[in-house]
Amino acid sequence: MKQFVPMKKDPPRQEHQITQLLAEWREGNQAALDELYPLVYDELHRLARRYMSRERKGHTLQTTALINEAYVRLIDQRNVQWANRSHFFAISAQIMRRILIDHARRHAYAKRGGGARQVSLDETATVIHEDLAEFLRLDEALKSLAELDPRRSQVVELKYFGGLNNDEIAGVLKISKNTVIRDWNMARAWLHSQLAGSASN
Amino acid sequence: MKPERWQQISRIFNRAILLDAAARSAYVKENCGADSDLQAEIEKLIESHQQAEGDDFIGGLAVEDVAEHFSEADEELALQKGRQFGNYLILDHLGTGGMGEVYLAKDSRLDRTVALKILASDVVADKQRMQRFSQEAKVASSLNQPNILTIYEFGEVDTLTFIAAEFVDGETLRDYIRAKRLKLVEILDIGIQMLAALDAAHEASIVHRDMKPENVMIRKRDHVVKVLDFGLAKVTEQKRGSDAVTAEQVLSEFKTAPGLIMGTVNYMSPEQALGKPVDARSDIWSSGIIIYEMVAGTTPFRGSTSAHTIVQILEKQPASLTHSVGVPPELQRIVDKSIAKDADERYQTAKDMLIDLRNLRRRLDLDAEIERSSAAVTVEYAQPARTAEPVATETSKENYALVVALIAIVASLVAVFAVNTWRSTRNRPVVPPPAPIVSTPGRTLTYWITVQKFKDGRAYQEPFDISGEINFEIDYQIRLSVRSPQPGYLYILNEGPETAATAPEYVVVFPSSTANNGSEYITANQRIQIPDQSWLKFDKEQGVEKLWLVFGENPLPELEGIRAFANRQSRGLITDAQLNTSVKSFLTAHSANQVGHEKGDTLTTLTSSEKVLVYPIKLEHH
Repeated sequence: MKQFVPMKKDPPRQEHQITQLLAEWREGNQAALDELYPLVYDELHRLARRYMSRERKGHTLQTTALINEAYVRLIDQRNVQWANRSHFFAISAQIMRRILIDHARRHAYAKRGGGARQVSLDETATVIHEDLAEFLRLDEALKSLAELDPRRSQVVELKYFGGLNNDEIAGVLKISKNTVIRDWNMARAWLHSQLAGSASN
Repeated sequence: MKPERWQQISRIFNRAILLDAAARSAYVKENCGADSDLQAEIEKLIESHQQAEGDDFIGGLAVEDVAEHFSEADEELALQKGRQFGNYLILDHLGTGGMGEVYLAKDSRLDRTVALKILASDVVADKQRMQRFSQEAKVASSLNQPNILTIYEFGEVDTLTFIAAEFVDGETLRDYIRAKRLKLVEILDIGIQMLAALDAAHEASIVHRDMKPENVMIRKRDHVVKVLDFGLAKVTEQKRGSDAVTAEQVLSEFKTAPGLIMGTVNYMSPEQALGKPVDARSDIWSSGIIIYEMVAGTTPFRGSTSAHTIVQILEKQPASLTHSVGVPPELQRIVDKSIAKDADERYQTAKDMLIDLRNLRRRLDLDAEIERSSAAVTVEYAQPARTAEPVATETSKENYALVVALIAIVASLVAVFAVNTWRSTRNRPVVPPPAPIVSTPGRTLTYWITVQKFKDGRAYQEPFDISGEINFEIDYQIRLSVRSPQPGYLYILNEGPETAATAPEYVVVFPSSTANNGSEYITANQRIQIPDQSWLKFDKEQGVEKLWLVFGENPLPELEGIRAFANRQSRGLITDAQLNTSVKSFLTAHSANQVGHEKGDTLTTLTSSEKVLVYPIKLEHH
């Protein structure tokens, strides 16, 4: 797996640069995405932390609101086309997935010494929180699905991680809304069967 | 899977789920023709689809599903070390629970160390409930029962509401049972003290409502149990809009607010889950669940989600405890009675349950007494029953009954062996005797390795015992068990795969800060299992791991220094280079001595004519 390491590039946020990169990516320049990724990661991560901090405990979390806020902060609103917003959401969904999985993994293994020392035998944390373990298994299953059927895994990513609705997903993937619904049903059933399979073994 | 196949499956699946049940099955059959694999696959997917719909699988958003864990890790503390907070000087942050942050602080007026709990803002929001809670907590505290945490003060500083309470230097029962497997006597001692606290509180008409291992502390110095947070649950109890009375209604309520009750459902009584009024008997249920967990290592009702757990609490009969090692039927009966689904069939008072636990405890003491009086005979005849050892420790229901019966008759030789087996599963203070009663020449040590296969982070298949060196796969996890017919001093070190560049590093596996009360002294026939509850896991580095067994008749001064590293913080790694070198030369020097090696199917017995036996178990893994 390609390990993504967020760049330690702090603001000033280059609104213009991000807007530009987004446009380039939409036009098919994959290198733009590589540059875009860490910038958006940092911003989303910062926001996610704030959103999920204690003070807001009990408040309903809205991924969409969160990504929207990142969007407003990062993108130069004056020269932007509407289509950019969907694309921003698409990439944000991917990044949110990355952030949450990174976090879940760190948290799940924190009990194992956090990798501070290379110790040969290690007591496994039997206490990995079930939810986190389940969450990590879902991510693995989603990776398998991506190999089998990239589009359906993208639908799940956009919906579950990105918080996009069916219309938005249809827009991003350039497919009909009905196809989104069909893809979702199939992908969800398949993921469910994969998780149920690993759990019962 | 081939793309065409996948497309075929999804086409049929997507049409099928639009049809009603009867038409669906016919449709699938018709479209699959003779391809029964295809049909099976599609039917499986359709079933998953229905379950996914029912469970609302990934129906929410990922960020919500993990939000709770985010906030745990990334929160910022309300108070910093060294800060003066009202009359209290903040010394340290002790932890964060559902209700708020806990600090170690010094009360400058009385020069007394206290635990200071800052209540989370959502907890204190409802003033009326807070009022009631503070009243109840004060009453509980004023009972002066030694197992109820004493509260010194309720107050508010800088808009933060706090409780100053007796500081208990120890750990929560949660951490305690996580770190080691408890012995029966210890379980009873903890249970008795918990129930004594509840008995006193119930007498004063105070119901705890949230008994769980997180709310029970074990003081380090004397193992005294302290029950925390009486009445606090009342503040955070969910208000129910309507009186839900069926499982379905409860489920749908929990589904709409899954985050609200996370972490607490495992100990919830059926009436609590149903939103009915609770009384003292709900605490009795929760205590029964805690005792069950201490014995079995897991709570009896555990679903994949809170909602599933609730269903089990309401409907499932718990698995019998007597499958666990050495559980007397009487304990099973006590637990069963405390977790009867119908509160009317439970113990009606904490006192009744307390009496039964105390009686059982007394009976075990009596057994131990008889056992001790026959100890002199025991030593001479205590030969390890070699191939049967791992099985023999599984004191089953019948064995126990047999043991009791035999003790009652006479301490014959047969009985002595049975008693001895039973004793080995019991907690006894490990104190080196002034002089060994029987001194056999040389050393004998038996070991076996239990292997658990893991797949995708989950255990699969039953664990099995092996006698030693096989090729281990990366996802095998292991436990090492050791026992000797002789008492002595045991040390176990792990040496990682050799690398050309560096000197070997050693990890202290035993003694540990938790197992065997931290002592390296083991009694004859005492079984040491490492780790106690979890498993050892191989890291990614391939090669040969060594587990060095060192077993001496006397303490080994050369290894005295390793104790300092035998704790969880350093994960046992000896970071002192000089000590590392001296450990290495000790092991090298002694491993030159001849060690007899008798390998059975499930265990290996090592013998040495020296006073110290040193032997590396080699574990090759890929």
